[in-house]
Amino acid sequence: MFKNYLKIAWRSLKKQAFFTFLNTFGLAIGMAGALIISLYIYDELSYDKMFANADRIYRIDSDIKFGGAEIKAGEAAAPMAETLKRDYPQVEAAVRFRTIGSAYVKKVGGNRSAKENHITYADSTVFEFFGIDLLAGDAKTALTGTNSLVLTKTAAEKHFGSTDVIGQNLLLDNTDTYTVTGVIEDMPKNSYFNDYSVFLAMAGNVASREDNWGGNNYFTFIKLIPGAKAEDFQEPLQGMLERYMLPWSQKYFPGMTAESFAASGNYIRYHTMPLTDIHLHSDKNSEMSATSSIQNIYILSFIGLFLIILASVNFMNLSTAHSLKRAKEVGVRKTLGSNKLNLVFQFLTESGLIAFVSLLAALLITLVVLPFFNSFTGKSIEIPFTQPLFWFALLGATMLLGLLSGSYPAFFMSRFTPVKTLKGNSSESVGNGRVRNALVIFQFSISVFLIISTLVVFQQLNYIQNKDLGFSKDQVLLINELGALGSKTKAFKEQIANMGFVESATLSNYYPTPSWRSDTSFFEEGSRDQESAIQMQEWDVDTDYLKTMEMELVAGRDFNPAYTSDSTAIIINEATLPILNVTAEEALGMRISEEIDQENPTYYTIIGVVKDFHYRTLRTNIDALGMHLNSNAQNMAVRMSGGNYADNIAAIENTWNTMAPGQPFDYRFMDEAFNTTYEAEQKLSQIFFIFTMLSIFIACLGLFGLAAFNAEKRTKEIGVRKVLGATVSQISYRLTVDFLKLVGVAILISLPVGWYVMNKWLEDFSYRIEIGVGVFLLAAVLAIIVAILTVSYQSIKAAIVNPVKSLRSE
Amino acid sequence: MLLQLRNIFKWVQQGGQRVFLLKDINLEVQEGEFISIMGPSGSGKSTLLNVIGMLDTFDEGEYDFLNESVHTLKEKYRSNLYKEYIGFVFQSYHLLDDLTVEENLEMPLLYKKIKGSERKALVADMLDRFNIVGKKDLFPTQLSGGQQQLVGVARALIANPKLILADEPTGNLNSQQSEEIMQLFKKLNEEEGVTIIQVTHSEKNAEYGSRIINLLDGRQI
Ligand SMILES: Nc1ncnc2c1ncn2[C@@H]1O[C@H](COP(=O)(O)OP(=O)(O)OP(=O)(O)O)[C@@H](O)[C@H]1O
Ligand SMILES: [Mg+2]
Repeated sequence: MFKNYLKIAWRSLKKQAFFTFLNTFGLAIGMAGALIISLYIYDELSYDKMFANADRIYRIDSDIKFGGAEIKAGEAAAPMAETLKRDYPQVEAAVRFRTIGSAYVKKVGGNRSAKENHITYADSTVFEFFGIDLLAGDAKTALTGTNSLVLTKTAAEKHFGSTDVIGQNLLLDNTDTYTVTGVIEDMPKNSYFNDYSVFLAMAGNVASREDNWGGNNYFTFIKLIPGAKAEDFQEPLQGMLERYMLPWSQKYFPGMTAESFAASGNYIRYHTMPLTDIHLHSDKNSEMSATSSIQNIYILSFIGLFLIILASVNFMNLSTAHSLKRAKEVGVRKTLGSNKLNLVFQFLTESGLIAFVSLLAALLITLVVLPFFNSFTGKSIEIPFTQPLFWFALLGATMLLGLLSGSYPAFFMSRFTPVKTLKGNSSESVGNGRVRNALVIFQFSISVFLIISTLVVFQQLNYIQNKDLGFSKDQVLLINELGALGSKTKAFKEQIANMGFVESATLSNYYPTPSWRSDTSFFEEGSRDQESAIQMQEWDVDTDYLKTMEMELVAGRDFNPAYTSDSTAIIINEATLPILNVTAEEALGMRISEEIDQENPTYYTIIGVVKDFHYRTLRTNIDALGMHLNSNAQNMAVRMSGGNYADNIAAIENTWNTMAPGQPFDYRFMDEAFNTTYEAEQKLSQIFFIFTMLSIFIACLGLFGLAAFNAEKRTKEIGVRKVLGATVSQISYRLTVDFLKLVGVAILISLPVGWYVMNKWLEDFSYRIEIGVGVFLLAAVLAIIVAILTVSYQSIKAAIVNPVKSLRSE
Repeated sequence: MLLQLRNIFKWVQQGGQRVFLLKDINLEVQEGEFISIMGPSGSGKSTLLNVIGMLDTFDEGEYDFLNESVHTLKEKYRSNLYKEYIGFVFQSYHLLDDLTVEENLEMPLLYKKIKGSERKALVADMLDRFNIVGKKDLFPTQLSGGQQQLVGVARALIANPKLILADEPTGNLNSQQSEEIMQLFKKLNEEEGVTIIQVTHSEKNAEYGSRIINLLDGRQI
């Protein structure tokens, strides 16, 4: 019997080749989209699970509020790790990382240095802790010596051309020499440490051994003994505050007690973050490497689900629409003794067949698309062909999909009563299409919603990119690693500043490109009260800084190279004023210091107030900031007045090469640096865009099929109408307008939903757009245009057919 | 008694008015009877046959099939009847367009779950008997009207039904073919005790039956 079902299914699918194609194509696209999304989500969820005992590893996080600033740190104080291990038996092991960003690495004796972007100090137990095997060297001792380091395989090959490098020496930033004591495999791509390629022995980091509970600079991981629960560890962990942190801080704030600390509204909250949760759930101001967010996973899951639902709705729609043609068949079969179940099976066989063919097509599509998707997301996702579980899940899901999308048509059709269907094309047999209409409305509601979302995301990004930031990021070149110039830094700046195409240049390590920098506590002159501490950014700049960044002063004056007293001058931003409780004019002349606890503190005199500028992402507010002169800069910003960028850069590089021969010239444009901050949003918007297009496409495929069916059903009517004198445009209008009504309803449904959801999304941004009527209008118009284009082809095609033909073909 | 209709009425609502298709039909059929229903076009013959075949409903009256009230018959039981007991021949053939002649004939056997080899034999036998072996791989649309009718009759007979309901089974056949079919019906009726109810316009065909029911405007006369 099943063979027979299969044969008949195949025949009837072949006979309606066009609809079968629409069905298969739509399903295949939906499945491919969902498959890619699933693989992506699977990869995201797999983060850090490969480490030994990953389920027992936790990171110590510190949420801190002190002096008006709130910091969420993924790091803890240096002594935390050792202390926890010593004080608590449930802590089996602890390990710390202290990241140092990037450095130029050179083989000793070699002449070519190459940049390593992710370098960190690590405690010597790190390999044992995470269960990382060394390809060469000894895991226990590799990181015990002061100047030893461990490289990943890729880094070793990059610098030495081989992995047989134990005992070789490397020079970091031309200053420190390290001996390679170990080589490890590259960190798994789906791990929190994936970017890290160089691990320096913590022994070389002096601060790591200091009893300093004030700074939180060490990513600290602990491993609980088996059976110990993280929930039970929160209280002991928080106890560290009173036992160690507060006693230590009394050196600086005498008399500070737990009560007075809490009463001032300040807090330090320690808690544990499971290692395997970091990637999707950690949202700290500082992370070892970029994390993602569970929200993206939710959004993507929804989109994947939408795609599948849209495609299967298509399937239902086209199949039930087609039931008109199949009605007679159902009737005859029933009189031959087929019961409902037989018919249901037969139709399910058809849908199953389509689902499996679609699956093959979807796999093919995925295979083609995955490389692009990977380069776009920076992942290395593969179809796990060799995993039985994958096939199991895939086939199961396909079967389910075939069943689900086949079940409605199957039960719908199997209920036809023979006499009605046998008496000819009774319209009763296909129902009045109410369900079909509802499904079309449903599909278009989703599509319009996605259009709205895409528009809002694009608008918000556009807003961010064009917002008045309080400085000008265009035509500014940032040159890094000036350390290579040694004492010639100033001279280099002078030479560059004198070039014709350069408006001005400034030396500073601080630029308003979003990156995390911690605050410093300043105190107003005469105030030692820690409650009135001003937590503010402290930036070292030079006298050309404001000019080069094109920042505006709202009061006072810029630094002046002619005044030697400006070495103790400070320019604050507007956001500092409310904390000082003064107006911009009143602030001028005030003195503040960060060394309030010392004998003779250095006071900075406020000489100017700069208009607020955005130095973090627009997701956060602008906080207090002060700038003073300091000449220790590793970076330079050059504002160009125009000309050919390539020529300009070549000219600057020329100068660089004469002053720092053999040293890499490292630069980038400020606007690019700025844009990388919004990479996540940008990717989100692109993903939105792609999948919105996909879902609209699938919805249109369905509409197209329905329109074709509708035109076909009415061939005779159209023929008669034409014979009676109706014009082509009258007829195509009639055929089109029915569908437009449905799209209209869909628009009405999706507008409020889109408005609500996207406002929620925007709440994440401190600086955001208002969703205007324009977005909704545009979404509505787009949907209508797409629907008209889709439907009118069929309508016009049907309308221009020669009436004699359509009347004869009955 | 095979079936019994008592005071059967059937109507449709048209323009706020009841239009009666069947009026007060009373009919008893014993097993082994061969009945012909006659009447002018539009008199309700097909309607009555459909009611008898339980393809259509009625609005008033009682109908017992094999001593069970049709009202209370379960859908499942009905499809079992179609499978095991009743063979239909339709006025407009109703062959399955997607299947070849051979496959159309095979269909009822499939639902009856008859084994492959036996199916093949039965189908070959039918093809042979109706002289359509050469057409077995053609689709219904590739056949003439008469040929389609032959296939329709063959399909009704193949599963060995106890009751044949035939709506103008020879309407499109020439007189020789027509006679052959009638002979076949007669033979089945006499030798195997198959009950036959046929609708026909032809007096000659009606002669083959044992009883004639005349309809006019939905009423027995
Ligand atoms: N669903 C319906 N609605 C309205 N009238 C109907 C319906 N079905 C049948 N009729 C009418 O009932 C009458 C009987 O129809 P039926 O098909 O039974 O005629 P018939 O005797 O088989 O005619 P013929 O010899 O032409 O096949 C006809 O007048 C027909 O118009
Ligand atoms: Mg009739």
